[in-house]
Amino acid sequence: MTTRTLSAQRPQLPGPRPRPRLLPEFRMTGNGFRTLVRTQARLLCREPAVVLSGIVLPLALITAFGAIPSFSKPAAALGGKTTLDVYVPTFAMLSSVLTALTALPVTFADLRERGVLRRLAVSPVPAAGLLAAQVTVIATAAASTAVLVVLIGTAGFGAALPVNIGLMLASYVLGTTALISLGLVIAARARSAGIATGFGVPTMIVNFFFAGVYVPLQQLPHVLRTVSGFVPYGAIVDTWSGSGAAWRHLLVLAAYTVVGSLAAARFFKWE
Amino acid sequence: MPAITVSHLRKTYDDTIAVADVSFEVGAGEIFGILGPNGAGKTTTVECISGLRTPDGGEVRVLGLDPRHDREEVRQVLGVQLQESQLPGKIQVREALELYASFYRDPADVGELLEQWGLADKAKARFGRLSGGQKQRLAIALAMVGNPRVVVLDELTTGLDPHARRTAWELVEQVRAAGVTVLLVTHFMEEAERLCDRLAVIDRGRVVALDTPAGLAARGPAAAQRMRFRPSQAVDVAELRALPGVTSVERHGAHLEVAGDADVIGAVTAYLARRQIIAAELRVEQSSLDDAFIALTSHATAAQEA
Repeated sequence: MTTRTLSAQRPQLPGPRPRPRLLPEFRMTGNGFRTLVRTQARLLCREPAVVLSGIVLPLALITAFGAIPSFSKPAAALGGKTTLDVYVPTFAMLSSVLTALTALPVTFADLRERGVLRRLAVSPVPAAGLLAAQVTVIATAAASTAVLVVLIGTAGFGAALPVNIGLMLASYVLGTTALISLGLVIAARARSAGIATGFGVPTMIVNFFFAGVYVPLQQLPHVLRTVSGFVPYGAIVDTWSGSGAAWRHLLVLAAYTVVGSLAAARFFKWE
Repeated sequence: MPAITVSHLRKTYDDTIAVADVSFEVGAGEIFGILGPNGAGKTTTVECISGLRTPDGGEVRVLGLDPRHDREEVRQVLGVQLQESQLPGKIQVREALELYASFYRDPADVGELLEQWGLADKAKARFGRLSGGQKQRLAIALAMVGNPRVVVLDELTTGLDPHARRTAWELVEQVRAAGVTVLLVTHFMEEAERLCDRLAVIDRGRVVALDTPAGLAARGPAAAQRMRFRPSQAVDVAELRALPGVTSVERHGAHLEVAGDADVIGAVTAYLARRQIIAAELRVEQSSLDDAFIALTSHATAAQEA
């Protein structure tokens, strides 16, 4: 069937003619988007595992690290910073990493596996709208958690804030969107929750490693530190440290965001 | 304009031909049935109509619109209840209806839908906790939430007990009474007979018959008649078989089942009367939609009857 015969048969159609498009379709009612965000937020709150790992865990970790006295002493190996100083950015991003790379893809894959997306596919809601609503929910939860982590670390336990607040915010925002876009690519395609976990968790571990969660970044060999700049979590943490190539990192994160989210919306599978 | 037009639809998955060549037209306000054995291509056909699949060949139109190309416009006017589609287990009934209502430009009132489909006292219940019948009612309510002009109901009553099935039939009649065109996929003869104005019988990806339920039944194998009885004394089966109009005689314990054309009953009763044999527990069956369906879908040559 060709588009030529299609348009020939559609003369008395109401409304605008669909135009050929390169970008994914995003046409939905404002009320539809708001209701979708509200409903997805409610459903997320009904999943204790997501709430525990995405919100409670980072708060518990920063509190535990803050309570260890030696972590608040400057260390020569960390360039005169305290262990806590180094870990505040790491833990602030933790919620983004966890929710973007596990909760987000697993939620979508599970909905796909159980036929929930199949039902949504025959309603007018566009794939991009569905993804955008879930991103709104996840990003809000992650951002609130990050603010709390920074408050607990600095106001509560006296950790030093990164030198450049503007860079910190920029890398946080772009970093979160980059991680979410990675998660979205998995969310768009994974056929089952198991497959989503299989892709999400290794991606997360790679991110953790290059962010210095297992071994502080400063102690990694030079080659790995260079690679780390091209892994979202690594690029974020290095920007926060104030010593990294901030602009290049931000560019990398922006690239992840744009490419990932467009690809996810474009190649989204309903079933 | 017809509500649904399907012409020479073709869809293959890898090497399997799911739909070879299906054409039919559903008029506005009709209840149109798609009947066929499992794997005949019924679900693929309605998936193409709903825009879930892109046909490999042929055309599908819903109220003149292409379900793939005019995705948004078709979905605004087409309500769909599909097999194997679900809601999140933890969503509440009212939340689900409000969510789907929010996607449509002119949605139905959620409160009224809850009342109409007998879900008002389940408004706060989670989807995962509903019974099969309640889930099915919610599925129809969701198909109706956008105030559609056409609804597709795929295997609506599969898995329901007989009571719930009858209730579902009343619901379908309610949908039609609201002026909505219904495309009903089923493999229950009784359901097709009771609800549908017209039927398409699909087998191996082709339409093998397209008629009213009564018209289809009359097309049964040579308007077959079948009689079953318990003879009061031994009957020579070979003699029965030799009677004019008799096509088969089978013994089921003490009972005999004789099948044949329109003359068979007269011939057999006359024969039994001559031998002074009484036919006890006599049951006569006229050709039914069931027989017509079996005949149409059980042999390959049926494909040419379309």
